Amino acid sequence: MATTIATITLSSADIMDNSISISNTATLTDAGNDTGVTKTTGLSRVTTSATSNVVLLDSAATGGLEAQSTMTSGKVFIQNLNARGDGSKYVTVLLQAVVIGRLYGGDWMFFPWQGGAGNDVEITPSSTTDTTLEYVAFY
Amino acid sequence: MATTTASFSLSSSDILSNAISLSSTSTLYNHNTTATGLTQVKSGRVDVYVTGSSFDLIPALASEEASAANSYVYIANKNTDVANYVNISIYNEVIGRLYAGDWMFIPWEQNDPDSDNSSKNDIEIEALVGGPQSVEWIMFTESTATILDASGD
Repeated sequence: MATTIATITLSSADIMDNSISISNTATLTDAGNDTGVTKTTGLSRVTTSATSNVVLLDSAATGGLEAQSTMTSGKVFIQNLNARGDGSKYVTVLLQAVVIGRLYGGDWMFFPWQGGAGNDVEITPSSTTDTTLEYVAFY
Repeated sequence: MATTTASFSLSSSDILSNAISLSSTSTLYNHNTTATGLTQVKSGRVDVYVTGSSFDLIPALASEEASAANSYVYIANKNTDVANYVNISIYNEVIGRLYAGDWMFIPWEQNDPDSDNSSKNDIEIEALVGGPQSVEWIMFTESTATILDASGD
């Protein structure tokens, strides 16, 4: 087993009258036990100018990550390395056809991933401007 | 405007032959702005029971169907039994399982994919294993409408 630790801190001094500060740490484990995850795609980096869907993580049982392991307790990190610019450009992150949300330049996301057929993690850039992303899955 | 930051770090010294250390910090801004921070927030803590049904944890707002409003969501499963988990879904699509102690942070597009005011982009939750699972959540959002459900009485 391995020990992989993910930490988040959300903070704001002025979104409410009193400040918000939320911190949480998770150790990434296999499904239903406390054994640390042992597989990772490794950190990947891609630059694309496509405006159609691009598959970041293929979950297929044939040729995809599901071929290596049942993805019941996967975790995914994605960050958009572009500068924010005027705030109009982003990539839409999808699970196959279902939109999760938009990653603007500088944004990141971290989420559990069930994987399986039809659950590829995909992006759709909002413009033909080159967009650079880094991403990694643990499972 | 407000300034809200989200910081992430991930480290492992032994999942690969070399250590991994990732970190990132973002500021939560409105769409189409260079530096206007999100100003609205909702949060909660709920116990989710195993019932065979999913529940709307964070309902998508009808007012956001056709908007480009920007939102971010944090969800944490505060249970401690490692066997327990909840499924987190959008539009009936399971994103993944949040096991006890897990957390997630995602951007969230509330736009209704069918534009029929059926709030299909609700963020849903279902407890699959174990007793009631305590889940904490917070949503930061940009909106030009009241981010509350209309009163029916």
